Amino acid sequence: MSTDLRVEHLSVHYPEQPLPALDDVTLSIGRHALTVALGASGCGKTTLLNVLAGFVKPSTGTVTLNDKVLTQPSAERAVVFQDDALLPWLNVLDNVAFGLRLQQVPKAQASAQAQEALQLVGLAGFEQANIWQLSGGMRQRVGIARALAVRSEVLLMDEPFGALDAFTRATMQQLLLKVWHHTQQRIFLITHDIEEALVLATDLVLMTPRPGRIQQHLTLTFNQRWLQGEPLRSIKSDPQFIELREQLLESLTPKEALLEKA
Amino acid sequence: MSTLESLLPVKPMSFAPATPTFLQWQGWQQYYALWLGVLSILSLLAVWWVVSTLQVVSPLFLPTPLAVWDKFVVVSTTGFMDATLWQHTLASLQRILIGLVFAVVLGVPLGLWMGCSKVFKGLLDPLVEIYRPIPPLAYLPLLVIWFGIGEVTKVLLIFLAILAPIIIATAHGVLATSTSRKRAALSLGASPQQLLAYVILPSALPSILTGIRIGLGAGWSTLVAAELVAATRGLGFMVQSAAQFLVTDTVILGILVIALIAFAIEMALRQLQKHLTPWYTQCD
Repeated sequence: MSTDLRVEHLSVHYPEQPLPALDDVTLSIGRHALTVALGASGCGKTTLLNVLAGFVKPSTGTVTLNDKVLTQPSAERAVVFQDDALLPWLNVLDNVAFGLRLQQVPKAQASAQAQEALQLVGLAGFEQANIWQLSGGMRQRVGIARALAVRSEVLLMDEPFGALDAFTRATMQQLLLKVWHHTQQRIFLITHDIEEALVLATDLVLMTPRPGRIQQHLTLTFNQRWLQGEPLRSIKSDPQFIELREQLLESLTPKEALLEKA
Repeated sequence: MSTLESLLPVKPMSFAPATPTFLQWQGWQQYYALWLGVLSILSLLAVWWVVSTLQVVSPLFLPTPLAVWDKFVVVSTTGFMDATLWQHTLASLQRILIGLVFAVVLGVPLGLWMGCSKVFKGLLDPLVEIYRPIPPLAYLPLLVIWFGIGEVTKVLLIFLAILAPIIIATAHGVLATSTSRKRAALSLGASPQQLLAYVILPSALPSILTGIRIGLGAGWSTLVAAELVAATRGLGFMVQSAAQFLVTDTVILGILVIALIAFAIEMALRQLQKHLTPWYTQCD
């Protein structure tokens, strides 16, 4: 039996669109992987995440987890969105415990588990705070804690740090790495930020648009160096990092744009 | 540099620090609207008082504020048309309350259903949009033919006036629920029923409360129309029958009480909205 989250020959055609949003995508996400799908807008990375989550049905192909075909959303695949998507009528603790309460987990146990998740994201002490009093970065932490609390098989993250300012984003990236390292939680994250993809991913999937396809699959170790305490600045100035960054940038730049320059 | 500046349509402003007088003025500005409101009401009262006291208009048409106050005392204690002011007010409030309860009980589920099902929205939307713009006075005679001249017709008229805004606001609230909020709940294992109860309904609550506010405003304005029909009590009835006997001070008194209650209802509902949905004004 395989514990991988597997995508096999997946295609998605939206009606009234000439080209498929995803065309014959095959991908396997291991039990402890932090897989990042990188691509420009229109490359199908959001569609891929939506299929993994069960929000969008594949036109052809299958998604399987533990050898079981996935068809609809479930708590096995918790999603973190760019806009936090929290419930403002609940306080921080109740938001984090929300998924557990939906599954009829007794209140005391749900609260304890939620507390644990809040501790992981560094929000212990904010249990009773109201959502609308929190900053963008803190809200995103609550969103992550909420997804962690249900202890899903995979955490799906839809450009989770895209709406944050640069300083908060770096802090959140480091936080995510620490949480991933600590919980061994499988993560699938999509982004259009090349550096974010390079510093976070164990597996980097480069996607290109029209039609949405996987162009390249890289295995990376920069996140290990960051976890071991190497400053981000030194990682980012590593020649290997720079070379990869430039190479990815070139792959991501549309060919028409290159022609215009020439 | 100076040549560049001359190219700008507006000269760049110099950022001088704000002077203390400017700051003081800003603090005062918080209550600016309130003071202006009080000022305009007081001016209206003053004009009324001057015009009526100088008898520019005959007291038969415009009694003095004092005469209206005296009438207030009389109607409150001995009554007008076999009922005191409080009994008239109570009769009106009772009608609008019954109308409101039925409108909420029917309107919120219909609105939820409309927001969740495209088919149901397609079926119900035209009906709501056809009846909503008709002035209640226009279909009042039909209601009288169908339901007689009893309490049912009066409450029904108010109910219909409140219903449409509640249905529309509820459906709008459901449709405006953010997709990522719904999807996040689904990915945490929510069933369709749980999604409706714990995500969609609370998300739509601010909109529903706004619908109730608008609906109550509409319902209160049809009150007089409803009480035209064979009523023996009610503020609308009081104003209407006083007008027939040219008891102008009672007419004005009735209008003032109707206005005050409408204002009180609006303020109470705003407080309720603030209390129930504090996030509504403070985030997204």
